[in-house]
Amino acid sequence: MPLLDIRKINCFYGDVQVIYDVSMYVEHGEIISLIGGNGAGKSTILRCISGLMRASSGEILFENAAIQNSRPEKIVERGIIHVPEGRRLFSLMTVKENLMVGANNSRAYPQRNETIKDVYKLLPRLQERENQQAITLSGGEQQMVAIGRGMMARPKILMLDEPSLGLAPVLINEIFQTVRKIAEQGTTVLLVEQDVQNSLGLSDRGYVLENGKIAQEGTGRELLDNPSIREAYLGI
Amino acid sequence: MNTGIQKRKTIDTTLKVLLVLFVFTVPLWVTSPTTLQILIFLFLYAYLTTTWNLVGGFAGVLPLGHSAYVGIGAYTSTVLFISYGVSPWIGMWAGGLIAAIVGIIIGIPTLKLRGAYFALSTMAFGEGVRVLVENTMQLGPFNINGPRGICVPLIPGNNIAAFQFLSKVPYYYIILVMLCVVLFITWYISRIRPGYYLAAGGEEPEAAQSLGVNVAKYKVWAMGLSCFLTALGGTFLAQLALYFYPKQILGLDFSFELAFIALIGGRGTIAGPVVGALILRPVSELTRIYLSAVLPGLHLVIFGLVLILVMLYQPKGLVGPLEKLYNWFLNKVSGTEKEVRT
Repeated sequence: MPLLDIRKINCFYGDVQVIYDVSMYVEHGEIISLIGGNGAGKSTILRCISGLMRASSGEILFENAAIQNSRPEKIVERGIIHVPEGRRLFSLMTVKENLMVGANNSRAYPQRNETIKDVYKLLPRLQERENQQAITLSGGEQQMVAIGRGMMARPKILMLDEPSLGLAPVLINEIFQTVRKIAEQGTTVLLVEQDVQNSLGLSDRGYVLENGKIAQEGTGRELLDNPSIREAYLGI
Repeated sequence: MNTGIQKRKTIDTTLKVLLVLFVFTVPLWVTSPTTLQILIFLFLYAYLTTTWNLVGGFAGVLPLGHSAYVGIGAYTSTVLFISYGVSPWIGMWAGGLIAAIVGIIIGIPTLKLRGAYFALSTMAFGEGVRVLVENTMQLGPFNINGPRGICVPLIPGNNIAAFQFLSKVPYYYIILVMLCVVLFITWYISRIRPGYYLAAGGEEPEAAQSLGVNVAKYKVWAMGLSCFLTALGGTFLAQLALYFYPKQILGLDFSFELAFIALIGGRGTIAGPVVGALILRPVSELTRIYLSAVLPGLHLVIFGLVLILVMLYQPKGLVGPLEKLYNWFLNKVSGTEKEVRT
């Protein structure tokens, strides 16, 4: 039984359909990549899973329970955390305050002081910056805070929406290293990325989304070796 | 090094204590009722903007119909006083309660709206209330006298129970204490868990929601509290002026002025509304005294200009730069420039 099982969901923005019969699943402990161009619908799928928007049809099962009609806070409570694209920090709060907001759900809150130690171990830079206002951090550090804030919610599955967006190559490496560590520590990761090389290289399996449909799926290696993907996304 | 920081702390505390003493002793040496009246209005606007700020600042939306809740406070306490002889001190709580309930009922659907849509819906609500009151002479058993407004029946002499005083001094202290209390409430809220979630949802609603914060819930509670406190200010205004009418107390420009003060002072900060009122109230009073015969409503034009300048050069309001200036001054006099950077 997969941890997260998405069955034939369809999504609309107004009258425009953006997701067509998408089915995918994530097993315990996997890193799954969801790749595709701009506007393919990657973020929409994450938004459906986290309850920020509703799929018009289809089912989303988490630990065998249907969650497609649950409110976002109930979904977080179950252990699904969505780190949205573009960092979206609470700019006037300090790094530590940002992290603490992450631990607001009733499962994570009582353990917040232990969790923050784990997060600092994972992302040591955040401890150095803990009392700085989030707005004063560099882009890479802000992304670290966004990931750390998600981890504070004690996710069973962490969904990251383009964590490498707008970062320098050195920092991108650091982010992917962090993702690997998170997975090694036992958190399942669903990664939405445009950096196809890095994310497929890291992933157990991947899905390629084109115009709202799953175009390909397979192990990270298979997809990386697939000539059509190499041509479309890697330009080789 | 430590002596510098020590000295800085001493100066900081001394200045703050002096400021509090100064504010609380003003009526001892200011005898002009006009000056006191101007100060009372300054504090009242600072009070109302602080309560507005709970929604307009921390919840990250722009309410433009808060005069409705000022009106609910004023009308409730006055009507209860006229009809049943209920002391305005008790009536103000009834007004606050009604305002909170109305605010929550209005907030549940409207707080889901984003940006301009929320602002427009609150504006429409405020105007709706004004038109309704202007066209209603009798509301159930209560006479609210439509567009002509209500006079609070005069009780001769100083009467604490009737919330009426001959001198301005009691009003000065009442509003000063009310202001201190709401400033304390705001400060307290900004330090507790719900306050963090409210501010998080105000700034980045999607991020807060995806972390499991029930953004709508916190915003609705903030709205209820804000409306409750705003209505208390409404009762104060009614007792101070002893006469009010819909166009004045429920008008759009009243609502706008609160938003202006907050935006110029610093939305979502604790001191912002006070700073904004300190800057804008004198402008408002002076233009009203000297220019209202020539160009009525000129103060709103000037507010607009000030707002444009502030938004261009200090989009977060004037509280930030003033704080910097104050810190610079502290460092200068205590010689700690190099050690303390705040």
